[in-house]
Amino acid sequence: MDMVKDVLLGLWEGSGFALVTYKEIIMLVVSFALLYLAIVKKFEPLLLVPIAFGMLLANLPGAGLMDDPSGIMDKTHLIEGAHWYDSGVLRLIYAGVKSSIFPCLIFLGIGAMTDFGPLLANPVSLLLGAAAQVGVYVAFLLAILLGFSPEEAASIGIIGGADGPTAIFLTGKLAPHLLAPIAVAAYSYMALIPLIQPPIMKLLTTEKERKVEMKQLRQVSKTEKIIFPVVVAVICAFIIPSCASLIGFLMLGNLFKECGVTERLSDTAQNALTNIVTIMLGVTVGATANGEAFLNKSTLLIIALGLTAFACSTAGGVLLGKVLYLVTGGKVNPLIGAAGVSAVPMAARVAQTEGRKYNPTNFLLMHAMGPNVAGVIGSAVAAGFLLMMFRGA
Amino acid sequence: MKMPITEALTIAVIGICVVMMILAIIAVLIILLSKVIRAIEKLIAKKTPAPAAPQPVPAAVVTDREVELIGTDEKTAAVIMAIVSKKSDIPLEKLSFKSIRLMDNDEKGGNK
Repeated sequence: MDMVKDVLLGLWEGSGFALVTYKEIIMLVVSFALLYLAIVKKFEPLLLVPIAFGMLLANLPGAGLMDDPSGIMDKTHLIEGAHWYDSGVLRLIYAGVKSSIFPCLIFLGIGAMTDFGPLLANPVSLLLGAAAQVGVYVAFLLAILLGFSPEEAASIGIIGGADGPTAIFLTGKLAPHLLAPIAVAAYSYMALIPLIQPPIMKLLTTEKERKVEMKQLRQVSKTEKIIFPVVVAVICAFIIPSCASLIGFLMLGNLFKECGVTERLSDTAQNALTNIVTIMLGVTVGATANGEAFLNKSTLLIIALGLTAFACSTAGGVLLGKVLYLVTGGKVNPLIGAAGVSAVPMAARVAQTEGRKYNPTNFLLMHAMGPNVAGVIGSAVAAGFLLMMFRGA
Repeated sequence: MKMPITEALTIAVIGICVVMMILAIIAVLIILLSKVIRAIEKLIAKKTPAPAAPQPVPAAVVTDREVELIGTDEKTAAVIMAIVSKKSDIPLEKLSFKSIRLMDNDEKGGNK
């Protein structure tokens, strides 16, 4: 009888019910809420579903999916004689985030999916993409004022770039302990762009400006499209070497798409590779959200600063759009400036939708795609600059 | 380690200027490159002799071959040809009928 009692007691003590802490319960509830937002409300489901489920897996009591006994990532809980293969499965996959392999591969896929034609047809779009990075630096300053370290502030600021892989890339390098809240904030706000941007666009523009119809873009030749990724990769890497990995992979993917002789590689980068990496990136980023790291004041501040960064980036793009409207004598619709935040193609769609509200015959989508893809380059350059400033600081 | 706000402000201002500068350089390069490429493409187009004018596509030859009518009178055949022409949006003069045959009840198929 005692043996049965011991077995049952051992079973109970080894079970999740006995091991669970209140922080794990809260994190499980948070993961359920994110799953609800992703599945029912369709908030960036391709990313939020893996992130939320990664969060769920990492907070299962006693499962140890993010354990790191050999100190591959975290040197604080070393166990004598432990090997790398004793680590939790998610911890091992997380090496792809920590080493920047996953963000770079995602950029390869983005490059293969992106048509830089509208940008090449209207190169001024690049300035709108640059102006829409202003939120990165505003949020950086505010984070410093709120007492974050420079590395943390830089990682929080990059949320304003509205680019998930870039935010993960920079945070993984500078402030890995903030990876989960920053990734969740970045992807959540990207999903909320149709709600965040329109009031700011309306506030900063007049009805006359919103009605502006832009002339049709010129045809871009195949040669221009092939030379563009090579030139951008070289220029960016020469000026800011630390952005070479992101920009390099982005442009390699685009060259696959445009050169016309690597269709199979382009297809793999766009579909299979991106899907596989998205699963691994999402699950492991979510798995970094343990109760200790997530349930604190910093997370709330990061969420607030992220929203500020998004709003300021939108405002920066729209304000430069207004300047271009004045300089060109009313040929540029300032609404396309809001698409300079790099959430492709959602931000461009918002510019299109808002433009049509005031002029139903207006078609701004292709004009907005220029600043939109310029924002991808802009946010990668901004991340490279911050990495250059604070790596090893 | 905390950072003085003046230092942070300096980094922020330099940061946005660097982003602006790099993207402006790329914009200028794009403009220059597109001009050079278009000039080269024009030059090549001038050097290459203009392709010969395409030969006019011969109109569909309407054969004067008689349509073989099996178990069908000419009036019915004319109606059938007009219907086929209308349904297929092909002018009657471009259609060529070989034969029109009345089918037996056994050949019609239907519900089996």
